[in-house]
Amino acid sequence: MTPLALLFATQLTHLGPVDIAILLLYFAMVIFIGFYVKGSTNTSEEFFLAGREMSAWIAGLSFVSANLGSLELMGWAGSAYQYGILATHWYWIGAIPAMLFLGIVMMPFYYISKTHSVPGYLHLRFGEGARALSAVSFGFMTVLMSGVNMYSMALVMKVVLGWDINFSVWVGAVTVAIYVMLGGLRSAIINEVLQFVLIWAGAALIPILGLIEAGGWTNLKLQITQRAGVEYTHMWSTLGGYSSNPMGVNWTGIIFGLGFVISFGYWTTDFLVVQRVLSANNLRAARLAPIIGAAFKMFVPFFVILPGLLALVLLKDSSGHLIQLYPDGSDMVVNHGAHSFNEVLPLMMVRYLGPGLLGLGITALIAGFMSGMAGNVSAFSTVWTYDIYGAYINKKAADSHYVSMGRWSTVIGMAVSVGTAYLVMGAASIMDYVQELFSFFIAPLFGTVILGMLWKRATKAGGFWGLATGTASSIAMWLMVLHDKSNIRFMILQPNASADTIMRVQAMAANLYRALWSWCVCVIVTIVVSYMTKATPESELTGLVYGSTIIPDDGSTKIYEKPIFWAIVVATVLFILNIWLW
Amino acid sequence: MSAPHIDPSTEQSLSIWFFVGVLTLGSGVIILGQGIYEFSHPATTVLAELHPAFWWGLLMTLFGAFYTLRFRPGKG
Repeated sequence: MTPLALLFATQLTHLGPVDIAILLLYFAMVIFIGFYVKGSTNTSEEFFLAGREMSAWIAGLSFVSANLGSLELMGWAGSAYQYGILATHWYWIGAIPAMLFLGIVMMPFYYISKTHSVPGYLHLRFGEGARALSAVSFGFMTVLMSGVNMYSMALVMKVVLGWDINFSVWVGAVTVAIYVMLGGLRSAIINEVLQFVLIWAGAALIPILGLIEAGGWTNLKLQITQRAGVEYTHMWSTLGGYSSNPMGVNWTGIIFGLGFVISFGYWTTDFLVVQRVLSANNLRAARLAPIIGAAFKMFVPFFVILPGLLALVLLKDSSGHLIQLYPDGSDMVVNHGAHSFNEVLPLMMVRYLGPGLLGLGITALIAGFMSGMAGNVSAFSTVWTYDIYGAYINKKAADSHYVSMGRWSTVIGMAVSVGTAYLVMGAASIMDYVQELFSFFIAPLFGTVILGMLWKRATKAGGFWGLATGTASSIAMWLMVLHDKSNIRFMILQPNASADTIMRVQAMAANLYRALWSWCVCVIVTIVVSYMTKATPESELTGLVYGSTIIPDDGSTKIYEKPIFWAIVVATVLFILNIWLW
Repeated sequence: MSAPHIDPSTEQSLSIWFFVGVLTLGSGVIILGQGIYEFSHPATTVLAELHPAFWWGLLMTLFGAFYTLRFRPGKG
């Protein structure tokens, strides 16, 4: 979202006493939870990993909720308005297969290695270099992302409700700092589960009322086809070429770039989400948690993508004319007060939700933003304390010292986030760059972790250099396109692509190809360097790599207790949904 | 410092589901009250004639009450 664009928009609505009562109830509860769980976060295991005692349901909901931030919700509702139903790919093929893979294949290694973080696993498998690189980049990114979430929340509250930006930044920062500092990951997880319920309660009514107004799904599709084109209602049949769909992407980008590299990178190696599953109370719960998360994830498009599609044909002004939304930063938004794509969800809220329900919807958005901050700052505090402070600065401190460091790093992380929020306020383009930065590290990190888990011959040097060159290649490709957009033709393997084709490839599609190639660079370099260096002794790989590890029995006996059974059920439903919307 | 052992997911004195129940119940009651008020003072939103606040508030109240009672402190 371009901040300057939003600043010029007019206030959409205001909250009444009933709405404020719901908002205050939520704030009172999260602060209470922070104080309540403080008593049970005395050891580092309790503070950073919630004592590893969460059930599969709690860990699963928290896992999916950590990715359900308001920035994503509003952004993807806007993308649905802009690109049509294609945006659903980011929730289905761009998430579900990776989540199932995490539960079935990768979780046993994360869990039985007893690692406390993803950089921690890299340390066990590839040594200090890979850990340091991933820990520093991850820690840096999480505090920046927390700041972006903070500023986005303040901005949305200003646009929707006319609240002062400084007020929103500080209220959000202080609240999150209190409950994460006191309760650590445990507090963050409880709030993520609350946020999950709030989002369903606050947002599900919009698509329900929208479908009633549109006359059902079939009528909605018909109206969208008439207004925007048939390509807005099909997920796969328009992916034959770059020019036949609104996003300018073809099926290779969706399947390999999104469905494989970006999705697997994010859902299996981003510690922000993996940390939630590591809090599970046993191996079976740890394997089931991502599968439960996947089942819920499958239905998120109902209240994120569907409102965007509904807005295409139902969002009208008081005189009954359709409201046209425009890209952020466009002349219409900046100079003429038009609404941007990213405002589609709040606009639909205002359309259908009266007093009380509006308060619930706004509370859900605020909960989503605060949960995004809390998730980032709790992951930062873990990686900082274990993988940077405990690994390089003070290796032999008492456990209580590390808990204390975790609490302080939470406060400092929030302070840096506030600084980032003000930095973004001063220079709007920084926000886009920060969001891009995150993608630099994820795809190569997935290459390193997956080779580390599945390939015994991968060596420490191979892992480090693969990660380093993969990340460097991703940054180089980004700079190359930033310098000259026509360079995108090399990333889509069409050096002679026409200017029209290049123009149609949107930034989102370019990200898919950049991730794909940086992953390939990481994997190739890891393989080549590994063959050039001495193999790691088998004895050092036990518990870390397939083929050198005996996976313990997870205790499930009946078919319906087995994670693989539920993974197949989820995969089958996903397949049917994709065929239905082909 | 001796702290009570807490298993937030299941049988502890205050489980996560209890918090979920209280928040949903509290919000549900407020929205239900607003929904009843709107029978005489209709909201100006689209499809307000379907009384979404009343029905949604009722649903949340029932859901919240069930979770609050089912996971109330002291009920193992």
